[in-house]
Amino acid sequence: MRYGFTSTLLAALLFVPSVHAAAQTSARTSDGKPNLQGIWQVLNTAAWDIQDHSARLGVPAGQGIVVGNDIPYTPAALAKKRQNFANRATADPESKGYLPGVPRIMYMPFPFQIFQAPDQIVMIFEYDRGIRTIYTNGTPHPRGPLNFWMGDSRGHWEGDTLVADVTYFTDETWLDRAGNFHSEALHVIERYTLADADHIDYEATLEDANVFTKPWTMRMVLYRRKEPNVRVLEYDPGRLIDEANASR
Amino acid sequence: MRTSALVLALAIALLAPLGAQDEKPKTVGGCPATGSLEFHTCAIEKAKTFTPPRTRSGKPDLQGYWRGQLAQSFSMEGVRGNEPLVGDKVMPWRIAPPMIVDPPDGRIPYQPWAVPIGRIGVNYKDYVDPRTACGGAGVPRLAQQDANQIFQPDGDQFVLWLFEDHHVQRMIAMDGRPPLGDGITVTNGDSRGHWEGNTLVIDSKNFNGYNWLDDSGNFYTDTAHIVERLTMIDADTLDYEVRVEDPKEFTRPWTMAWAQVRVKDPGFELLEEACREGQRDVDSLLQQGFKYYFGNPWRERAASR
Repeated sequence: MRYGFTSTLLAALLFVPSVHAAAQTSARTSDGKPNLQGIWQVLNTAAWDIQDHSARLGVPAGQGIVVGNDIPYTPAALAKKRQNFANRATADPESKGYLPGVPRIMYMPFPFQIFQAPDQIVMIFEYDRGIRTIYTNGTPHPRGPLNFWMGDSRGHWEGDTLVADVTYFTDETWLDRAGNFHSEALHVIERYTLADADHIDYEATLEDANVFTKPWTMRMVLYRRKEPNVRVLEYDPGRLIDEANASR
Repeated sequence: MRTSALVLALAIALLAPLGAQDEKPKTVGGCPATGSLEFHTCAIEKAKTFTPPRTRSGKPDLQGYWRGQLAQSFSMEGVRGNEPLVGDKVMPWRIAPPMIVDPPDGRIPYQPWAVPIGRIGVNYKDYVDPRTACGGAGVPRLAQQDANQIFQPDGDQFVLWLFEDHHVQRMIAMDGRPPLGDGITVTNGDSRGHWEGNTLVIDSKNFNGYNWLDDSGNFYTDTAHIVERLTMIDADTLDYEVRVEDPKEFTRPWTMAWAQVRVKDPGFELLEEACREGQRDVDSLLQQGFKYYFGNPWRERAASR
């Protein structure tokens, strides 16, 4: 353990009045890694559009999360993106209640919870009951070809940054509700760095030679949900769509 | 008939291991494999003398990959030889003992109104199995046959129980946090856990009542209170007990039990089983007249009282 008796005692004294504070996560896990556990959520508008955008009816205006704002689409892919945008109400896989893929699930406007052990990190998402397991046990990606809606994630620590390599995607997920997209050749490298106790600097670099002329990066902050009784609940879009249709 | 690619694929998947089960083991974890009652009775005794491994924080270490045994998905009440579905041409059911250990007759103690809905009744005949509709199998059907994983993350505030079946997860809060308010329901309930000796006890409420217990359409409602007990009886076997209480539906609490056996294949991991994203069956079932199940039969019954 990094912290000696004195600081533990001090911490105990400081937190005695609140049961929940006592249950709060410590800064490091038992194996000395930054403790990413807890319930997190973005406070941005990337779910609607990962790039800068003015308000549209039902869509909050927002500053994009793409570093430099431009996505280096090939000319054909840019045309496809524009077509996706025009048809987004029905063409967006989200409208069918499908798993949103990675990194899109990270910036859906719903909380998710991170659980951590030395050999794996599990993320549970309120949106579509999504699950991600980032194996940190040194295992490589399985031999492909494979297609997963949420990809296959293998991680390691670079100092205090968790780096996840995610591959084996489908070409059926989008990056937002504005038609930004990728192919099944997508390769994502994510970096999770605890900026302080309640903020994670999150970065994802996307490579996809079928769609982009070069790799590009998105960057955002994950905020810790601090309400003492906050829980990840359930938003199962497929079931809700079926339920709405069934009652018509 | 529910003839569909999915059912056929399931039949093949189920029949493949069936062949191997001709030489099925006579014991599971050193206890009789003849049926749930014999297994569970023995397992309770065996657990008293087994000391499970510990996590680094000193809790019983139930972590790893598991798969249900002494379990089948046809009916919690078991399948008798005179059940017509045993002779079904598409998906023959297999004769099996009940998974119910209490009451001793192995039957769900339904109140009279609920009998025609469950037990190959209204649910089975008129509704799409919620699992087929990608709602997930629900507690405890999830743990019948599919691979699952118990994960005890650092800090002991939660235990996760992850299922391959339609990426279903259960987050079991171990830190005594307040339960969810009555106004919130979730498919697999609000699960809060604690350790009783070496047993993980999971107490769940706030169900939405959308789950079936098995292929027969046996069911519980949104007032169900489910208490599960997971106890290691040897290094590779868990005794899994599930007690269901729902005064709205049953005449008394009742209990199921079966085994979870460790998956030991080298390199085994849970894979993503997307469901809705690829399923092609529900539309055809709806066209055949089956309806979506969102607890309608028991809700309609409640409304008509």
